[in-house]
Amino acid sequence: MKSEYQPKVIGFLCNWCSYAGADMAGTSRMRYPQNIRIIRVPCSGRVDPLFVVKCFQRGADGVLVSGCHPGDCHYTEGNYYTRRRFALLREFLDYLGIAKERMRVEWVSASEGQKFADLLSDFTMELVRLGARSKI
Amino acid sequence: MARIGVFLCHCGSNIAGAVNIPEVAEAARRLPQVIYVEDNKFTCSDPGQAAIQRAITEHQLNRVVIGACSPRMHETTFRRTVAGAGLNPYLLEIANLREHCSWVHPDQVEKATAKAIDLVRRAVARVAWQEPLTPKQVGITRRALVIGGGIAGIQASLDIADAGYEVILVEREPSIGGHMAQLDKTFPTLDCSACILTPKMTMVGQHANIKLMSYSEVEDVSGYIGNFRVKIKNKSRYIDVSKCTSCSECAKVCPVELNSEFDENLGKRKATYIPFPQAIPNKYTIDKRGIPPCTNGCPADIRVQGYIALISQGKFKEALDVVRDTLPFPAICGRVCHHPCEDQCDRKDIDEPISIRMLKRFIADWARENGEEPPEDMQPTRGERVAIIGAGPSGLTCASRLLKKGYPVTIFEASDKSGGMLINCIPDYRSPKEITNYEIDRLLAHGMELRTSVKLGRDITLEELRKEYKATYIAIGAQDPARLTIDGAEAKGVIYGLPFLRDVKSGKKVENFGRKIIVIGGGNVAIDCAKSALRVGAERVHLVCLETRDLSSRDRMPAYEWEIEEAEEEGVIINGSLGPMRILNKDRRVTGLETRICISVYDEGGGFAPKFSEEAGPIIKGDTVIIAIGQRSDLAGFEDVEQTPRGTIKVDEITLETNIPGVFSGGDIVTGPASIIEAVEHGNKAAESIDRFLNGRDLKLGREMEVQVAPLREMEMEKKERAKISKRDPKERMKSFNEIELGFDEKTAVEEAKRCLNCAVCSDCRECEKVCEAEAINYEMQDELVEEDVGAIVVATGAEVLDHTQFSIYGGGVHPDVVSTLQIERMMNAAGPTGGEVVRPSNGAHPKEVVFISCVGSRDERTGSGYCNKVCCMVMAKQAIMLKEHAPDTHSYIIYVDARGPGGKIFEDFLTRAEKEGTTYMRGQIDSVAKQDGRLLISGQDFLSNETFNIPADLVVLATGLMPNEDSARLFQTLHISYDAKNYLLQAHPKLRPVETAMDGIFIAGCAVAPTDVPESVAQGGAAAEYVLKLFSQESIEAEPMTSIVDIAQCTGCLLCQQVCPFQAIEAETLRDGRTVASINESLCKGCGICVAACRPGAIKLRGFSDQQILAEVMAL
Repeated sequence: MKSEYQPKVIGFLCNWCSYAGADMAGTSRMRYPQNIRIIRVPCSGRVDPLFVVKCFQRGADGVLVSGCHPGDCHYTEGNYYTRRRFALLREFLDYLGIAKERMRVEWVSASEGQKFADLLSDFTMELVRLGARSKI
Repeated sequence: MARIGVFLCHCGSNIAGAVNIPEVAEAARRLPQVIYVEDNKFTCSDPGQAAIQRAITEHQLNRVVIGACSPRMHETTFRRTVAGAGLNPYLLEIANLREHCSWVHPDQVEKATAKAIDLVRRAVARVAWQEPLTPKQVGITRRALVIGGGIAGIQASLDIADAGYEVILVEREPSIGGHMAQLDKTFPTLDCSACILTPKMTMVGQHANIKLMSYSEVEDVSGYIGNFRVKIKNKSRYIDVSKCTSCSECAKVCPVELNSEFDENLGKRKATYIPFPQAIPNKYTIDKRGIPPCTNGCPADIRVQGYIALISQGKFKEALDVVRDTLPFPAICGRVCHHPCEDQCDRKDIDEPISIRMLKRFIADWARENGEEPPEDMQPTRGERVAIIGAGPSGLTCASRLLKKGYPVTIFEASDKSGGMLINCIPDYRSPKEITNYEIDRLLAHGMELRTSVKLGRDITLEELRKEYKATYIAIGAQDPARLTIDGAEAKGVIYGLPFLRDVKSGKKVENFGRKIIVIGGGNVAIDCAKSALRVGAERVHLVCLETRDLSSRDRMPAYEWEIEEAEEEGVIINGSLGPMRILNKDRRVTGLETRICISVYDEGGGFAPKFSEEAGPIIKGDTVIIAIGQRSDLAGFEDVEQTPRGTIKVDEITLETNIPGVFSGGDIVTGPASIIEAVEHGNKAAESIDRFLNGRDLKLGREMEVQVAPLREMEMEKKERAKISKRDPKERMKSFNEIELGFDEKTAVEEAKRCLNCAVCSDCRECEKVCEAEAINYEMQDELVEEDVGAIVVATGAEVLDHTQFSIYGGGVHPDVVSTLQIERMMNAAGPTGGEVVRPSNGAHPKEVVFISCVGSRDERTGSGYCNKVCCMVMAKQAIMLKEHAPDTHSYIIYVDARGPGGKIFEDFLTRAEKEGTTYMRGQIDSVAKQDGRLLISGQDFLSNETFNIPADLVVLATGLMPNEDSARLFQTLHISYDAKNYLLQAHPKLRPVETAMDGIFIAGCAVAPTDVPESVAQGGAAAEYVLKLFSQESIEAEPMTSIVDIAQCTGCLLCQQVCPFQAIEAETLRDGRTVASINESLCKGCGICVAACRPGAIKLRGFSDQQILAEVMAL
C-alpha cells in the first residue's frame, strides 16, 4: 500500500512568474507528479500564512508557495514579505507537529518550466519519504 | 443563490486525449449550485463561445466556469464572451485543464481525470464567491519612452514621432546607432551601413517630437499602462552639450589614451572623445570614472593622475601647476612625503606602484632649474582680513589658498623665520635648505603679510586678533619636545631632538655633544637625530626604543621603513624593545644608559601602555643622550579655545572650526605630530571653511560626500619595471649633509609616468578647459536625475557581441591574429582604425589566407549560448566576399557546423555567391589553432570527407554570438518584465504576441528579445511602435478592478498595511468619530494583496482574490 501513497500538495502560485512557469512546463510537455492542485494568487505576498495552516488542517500533505525570484517581483517587493512570513511559519509548523519540510517556499520564474517540474518531483519524493501525515 | 454553468473544452485532443471529459462533466453536474454542464471540441471557437452565451440566457446562469487552457491564454477572450451575454465579465473562473493537467500528465487518464475534477471543483467553489466588478477608466499620457538607440529603437522612435506623439529616446552610450553603426556593409545587399543608418540617426537628432537623452540610463519605473513615471539618470558628460561645437580641440590636448570601444579595441581614443565622426548627438564626452585611487590615498586630494598624465606628455610646467593647485610645496613633499598615494596605486597589484613622489620632485626641480616665471602678485579683492597663526606648512597652505580667493592675509609667527618644521628641522640630506627656502620664498612672494617673532599670548592676544581679523586659523604645530623624567636626565650631555636638529640645520655648534651617541626614540625624528649625529662627527650611534625593529609586529617602530633602512645602511645600531631606566653619569657627565626589556608597547585597545620584564636590559655606553620621544604643542595663549585631554585643540572634523565661531585650527596642533601632507590637507580645508564662513555659507554642505573610487578597468596590462631611485653611497653620504636621493632625469620621468594605468580615465589635468573656446567644459557637472511621465515604453536594449578573447580554444586572446567578425568590420571601414585595410594585428601585414570559424559561443551551452545566433552565417559570407573585393588574392575558408541563409532566397543566393567567388566552405570541427612559422595553423576534422585538415592561415576570424549583458537584466527588473536565463526578454506569447510583454504598455524589439539582423530589428521596432500608437489612439483604458478595499468597521488603524504597500496607495484617514483607519487610493492600488495578508483584524479585502474565495478553493481541494 505504501508504494501507492500519493501525497496531496496544494500550491499557491503567483500570477506573474510561478503560474506562468507552471504554464511553461505544460506548454513544453514536461511531466511531473499529478498530485499538485494549483491556486492562482496575484502575488506570493497575498498568501496569508493562515491559508497554509488551513491547507494542512484540511488534510494536505504538502504546501508550496511560489513567487518571482527576489528582485523580480511584479509588485517590486511582495516576495520579500513572503520570504519573511514563511520563514516564521516554518518554525511554527514544527510546533504544530507538522514537519517543516512539508512546506516549501520557492522562486520560479516564467521561463523556468523545467525548474517547476523538477521541483514538484523532488517535493513529492520528499513527502513520500515523510509518509502520510497525522491529523492536527 | 449562484447559478453556475460549467463548460469543458476538449481542445481537440489536447485535453480530451489525456482527460476523460464525460467523467469530469458528470462530476461537475453533482457539484452544488451547478445548474448546467456542457463540453465542446473548441470552446474558444465561435461556436464554442456562442454555446456559452446561449446557455447563460437559456439557463439564467449568473456564474461561469470554463475548463480549458491557461487563464493566461484565454481569460480575456472568455470575459468578453460572458459580457456578450449580459453577465459581468468577472463572474468567470477558468480551470486550467491543459497546461496544468493534460499536457503534464499524458498517459495517466485516470489520475489526470481525477485532477481535472478537483480543478473544476476548485473553480466552482471560487466563482460562487466572486462579485461583479467594474473596471475604472483611466486616462493615457500620450508620450512614449524608447530605451535603446540601436536601429530597433531608432525605428520605433521615428515611427511614433512621425505619428505626432512625443518620444523620449534614452541611450546609454554617448551616441545612438548601436552595433549597426560599427558595421561596414550590411548583408545581403552590401549597402554601406553608415550610408543607410546615419540619415535615420540625423532624423532622430532633428525630429521635433523626439527628446534624445544620450549617455543616460533608466533608473526607475513606476506606474502602469498609460501612466508610467520614469526616472532617468543623465550621466554627466562634464561637457555642456549646448555649448560644445565638436571642434575636437579638447581631444587633441587630452593626455589620456585608451582603447576605443567603438573600434573594438583596435584603435585608440582619448578620455575626452566622440565615439565616431557621425555620432548623434555630435558632442564630446569626458569619460571620468570617479576619483583615482592615488588621489583617494592622498590626504590633500592632489589630482595625482592629472600631473602624472601631463608628465607622460612632457608637459612639466602644466604638471607642476596641477600640483600647486593643492600643494604649495611640491619640491619639499617630492622629497620627504611618506606618499600614501603610492600605497593605493592600482599598479601595485601588477608590478610596483608608480613612483609618484619622485615624479613630483622631478617637475619641481625641473621648473626651478629651468627658470620659472616670478610668482604672481595677488592683489586682495576682498575687505575681510584673515589672521593665520603659525607659518608652518599648514598655515602657509591656508594663507596661499585664501590669498588666491582674494582675501588679505597676515601670518603671525613666533620664531624669527617662516617655514615651521619644514625649514627648521628637516635635515639637509633629506631636503636641502636652498630648495626649502626657494619654495617658501616663492609662496610668500604672492603677497601675504608675514609678522615674525610675534607670539600669541606674549605679544598679542587671541581676543585682540579677533577684533581686527574676521577669521583666524591656528596652526602653531607641535614643537615642544616631550620630556623624559628618569634618573640622570639632568646630566650634561643630555639633549633634546628638535633643538638638536634645529641647531644642526642652522649650523650652530651643539653644546655638550660628544662622540658616542645614544638616541632615545623610535620615530622619524629619532632617526633624523641619529643620522644627523653621524654627520656632525659622532663615531658611533646607538638608537634605543621601546618598540621592536620587527616591522610586521604590532609593536613596530613608528618610523618609516625606508628611513630605518637608510639609517642602518649608515651604521646606526638599532636597539629595539628596550626602555630607558637611568642615564648613568659620572661627575654629572653622561657615561651611558641603563635599560630594561620592554615586552609590549600597546594595550589591547591600541593605547600606549608599555610593559617591562623583571630582567634588566644591557647597559649602553655613550657620552651624549639625544631624547626624541615625541613633540607636543605649547597651548599657552589659547585658553579660550576648547582642548582635548591629549593636549590638542578640539575641532569639527569636517570644517576644522573650534568652539569659537570664525576661529579654525589644523595641523599638528589638532592631530598631534603628523605628516606635512596632512598639515597641507588641513590648510586647504580651513581655507575652504573660512571662505564659506566669510560668505555666510553653510560650512558643511556637500563636504561629507562619499567618494567613488575608480575601479580597475579590464584591460591588458604589461609589466613594466618601476624606475629605480638612485641614492648616494652610504659611506660617502655620511660625511656631508648632501642630499641622499638623486632625482630622475627627463627621460626616466616621462617613462615612469607612462606606466600610469589612468584608473579614472579622465585624469583631471584640466588641459581641455584651457583650449575649449566655447567654454563648454565643466568639471563640477553632476549626474542629473530627470523624471518623465509616459504612457508606453519600448525596450530595445539590444545585445552584446561575446568577447572573442575568452575563446582560447580557438586562439582568442592567445594569438593577436585571431580576431572577431566585428573587428574585421571595423578594419574594413574606411573610417576605421586601419583606414579600410584588413591587416594582421601582429604585424600590420595583408592577410592572404583567412579562416572563419562559425558558431563560436553559440549552439554550445558550455562556451556561451545554446542557441543559433542567426546572423553569423551571413556575416561570414559577407566578409569573405568583401575580403576578396578589397584584395583579390585573399582566400577565405569558412569552417561551419551548418550554413544557412535564413530570410528568403536572396539570403541563400548570397551564400552561393560567396562560394562561387572562391570561398572554401568546410563542414567540420576545429581541434586547435596553433602558431607555426609566424602564421597560424588551424587543425580539425572535415565532417563530410571524414578527414583531418591542417590549414595554414594569416588571420583567423571568430564569428562570436550575441548575448544581452547583466546591465540589461537590471533594467528588466526595474521594468518588471520577464527575461530568461540568458537575459533575453520573454514575449507575452512567443508566436502571437512577439513584441508585447506580460506587462501591459511595455513593448520589446530587436536583439534584446533574440538575435536579429537589421531588417528584423527594423520590423520589430516598427511593430512595437504600432502597438504604442494603438494604445495612444484609445480614448481611455480600463484599469484592473481587482483592487483592495478597507472595511472601516473592522479596521483598527494599526496601519501596518501602509508600511507594506509598495505603491504608497494606503493613507491614514480620520473618521468623524475620531478613529483613524486605513484608506486605499484605488488608482494607485495594483492589487498585489500584500496588505491583505498583513492585515491582522482581516479588514482589507482584495476584490477578486478575497479570503473567502481562496479559502473556498482550499476547502474544495
